[in-house]
Amino acid sequence: MRYALAETPPMGDRSAAAAAPYDEMIDPAGDVRPHYAALARRVASLSDEDLAERQRLLERFFLLQGITFTVYGAESSTERIIPTDLLPRIIPAAEWATIEAGLVQRLRALNMFLADIYSEQKILMDGVLPRELVLGAPSYRREMQNLFVPHQAYANVCGSDLIRKPDGGFAVLEDNLRVPSGVSYMLANREAAKRTFPGSFRMAGVRRIEQYPDLLLSTLRSMAADWRPNPQVVVLTPGVYNSAYFEHAYLARLMGVPLVEGRDLVTHDNMVYMRTTTGLRRVDVIYRRVDDDFIDPLTFRRDSSLGVAGLFNAYRGGNVVICNAPGTGVADDKAVYAYVPEIISYYLGEDAILPNIETFLCREPSQLSHVLANLDKLVVKAVGASGGYGMLVGPHASRDERERFAEALKADPDNYIAQPTIQLSTAPCLIDGAVDPRHVDLRPFILSGDKIRVTPGALTRVALKKGSLVVNSSQGGGSKDTWVLGEAEAAETRS
Amino acid sequence: MMLARVADSLYWIGRYVERAEHMCRLADVLLNATLDRTESSGQVARMVISAVSDGEHPEEISPWDAALAITMESGDSDSVTAALARARENARQVRDQLTTETWERLNLIYLRVTGASAHREFSDAPSQFLHDIIADLHLFKGAADATMSHGEGWGFLQLGVFIERAQLTGRLLQAGFGRSLGRPVTEHAAMTALLRMSCALEPYLRKHTADIQPRLIRQFLMFDEDFPRSLRFATARIEDHLSGVGRNVDLGGAAGPERLAGRLKARLLYAEAETLTGEDSDLLVATVLEECARLHAGIYDTFVAYSLEMRLPA
Repeated sequence: MRYALAETPPMGDRSAAAAAPYDEMIDPAGDVRPHYAALARRVASLSDEDLAERQRLLERFFLLQGITFTVYGAESSTERIIPTDLLPRIIPAAEWATIEAGLVQRLRALNMFLADIYSEQKILMDGVLPRELVLGAPSYRREMQNLFVPHQAYANVCGSDLIRKPDGGFAVLEDNLRVPSGVSYMLANREAAKRTFPGSFRMAGVRRIEQYPDLLLSTLRSMAADWRPNPQVVVLTPGVYNSAYFEHAYLARLMGVPLVEGRDLVTHDNMVYMRTTTGLRRVDVIYRRVDDDFIDPLTFRRDSSLGVAGLFNAYRGGNVVICNAPGTGVADDKAVYAYVPEIISYYLGEDAILPNIETFLCREPSQLSHVLANLDKLVVKAVGASGGYGMLVGPHASRDERERFAEALKADPDNYIAQPTIQLSTAPCLIDGAVDPRHVDLRPFILSGDKIRVTPGALTRVALKKGSLVVNSSQGGGSKDTWVLGEAEAAETRS
Repeated sequence: MMLARVADSLYWIGRYVERAEHMCRLADVLLNATLDRTESSGQVARMVISAVSDGEHPEEISPWDAALAITMESGDSDSVTAALARARENARQVRDQLTTETWERLNLIYLRVTGASAHREFSDAPSQFLHDIIADLHLFKGAADATMSHGEGWGFLQLGVFIERAQLTGRLLQAGFGRSLGRPVTEHAAMTALLRMSCALEPYLRKHTADIQPRLIRQFLMFDEDFPRSLRFATARIEDHLSGVGRNVDLGGAAGPERLAGRLKARLLYAEAETLTGEDSDLLVATVLEECARLHAGIYDTFVAYSLEMRLPA
């Protein structure tokens, strides 16, 4: 197997941001890291045709399962699979232990933050965060004020985006507390990997992730009122044309609960019912995959036809539970993000286990001038945008683009934050038949209900374009399976 | 317990799958018949075209173009491709209700008929192409039978299959023997073709030997107790599945579609099959088609689009 490390990016200065990226498989001396050794040997023993054949097998698996998105053309529409890479990304047990502890700590603190923001607002009175930053955020929902949320679990499903910095440590790039998606790809990638590398998979001692749907169901059930003995859980989807529809159907099927659309639900006397063939049936917990804005036209956006009229009132009345709670977005706001380490120490009295990326808030005049002076080295993001939209990657942008962005920044500084360009770590990927490094991130999924549960696995997103740092599937990203190794096996590979 | 929308989708999957299979057979038999340059091939072409064209008198169209339209035309909901696309679209909407085995079969057929090479495969070897689709659809039905729970969802799927089947067989009988359409088929080859279109040739031969007569064909396709595409068989299944899915519905005293289904079943069960005149057969077929349309509407009103006032919890 020929595998050359990614080159140090050509950049004006040799600052820390421009250091060579960490490679998941090869250490700087050029040796294969121990936890990758078995896989590297296996891949080296396969011919190019064998690898290509396995890649075909993998793609066929996704096509057959219908894990596709539809590209609509003028005359006809075609089905494309989400690009999926053959070679798994491997995380040793010790590293995972740190990640897991960090994720649990972070979500506990964020749930406490949400509970506080939507009740007494002590943290604002103590001046830890600027009041207008939180209460002025578009994702802050006044309607949630003083509303009882069981276990204070606001973000029942959280998908945080982690990256590995050039020094090998993991850091949190973004928290997703609204309706994070991608967990079905984590599960489907695993199912496919078991077919494409069965031997290596068994020998590596990979930890199981298949229990995720069961854990999700127990989490959702734990949110129901105690006096409802057999709570009816449903998954609410915007419908078949949503790009994550496959995931909604997949989770509903594996949990064994109905997949409903807004038009299947009705409210009556502040209760929510679904229309079944034999009449109306009460619903207790709604795992909604519809954004806050669209869940109830009477409370939020009036033109929404995806939601259920009267749903929010039923929620306020305690007759149904909406998961994730509306208004959780205020805790993953890109400006609030900058304060998460302070939030953790305020509520838990602990230092953050997983660090943040250094973030400049353009709302602060001193930081804005620093950002404007260093636009060619920074990544600037709009606070409210996601999916890789509304951002400027300074080092890759033209002078013209930078100047236009600077104008936007000066016009509305509150709306922007900036971060140094981080070299995401690279992992081996099969690109055009050859094994080549590509930048990757890591999205683990954390559940919180009566307790917090982390599934030992994650979605590894891949920037398939050489040198690109953008991993979003809407911008040419793909994904690959992520193997988290168990303790015993990790010891074995070390020996 | 099942969502009303889901029941509706399962019902339509049943209908579209059955329709696609039937259309494949029509196209195949039509292409096969045109290999002979005789009067019978003209009869077959007329029969097929009137079976798919809602009784209107079609303009002249070559058998090849007709077969191509039946198989591939995408705008027409009666073509094989369109029916499969719709079946699959419905399946996608209720993906959580189908087993993976069942879904994979349907998805595979869909990917094949809408793939880039589908047109070429059809032009190169139409018979093989159609034969493969039919075989795949049988695999789909087999996978559904073997892996899905035979509960409420299954009941709606089967209702769709058998209502569609009764209507397709009924329309084929009208196209072949109906007096209103003029020129009933008389040629031996055309009558065999008609039996082939309903997949009945071999079962018919076993029952009546090679004695092929319009009266016996009609009797077989209408009243045979065991042949799965006869009107009698299909209507008995409709009644069966409807009483299964209707068991838990409280209509507050109003008559549900079960009554219609029971009466329709009885009409075919107790008809005087041996002495029925051609005219009476035509009337009975027309009645079956009407009743199937009423059943279709009745199922929708009872299980899917019921008025909420009637069903509010006490």
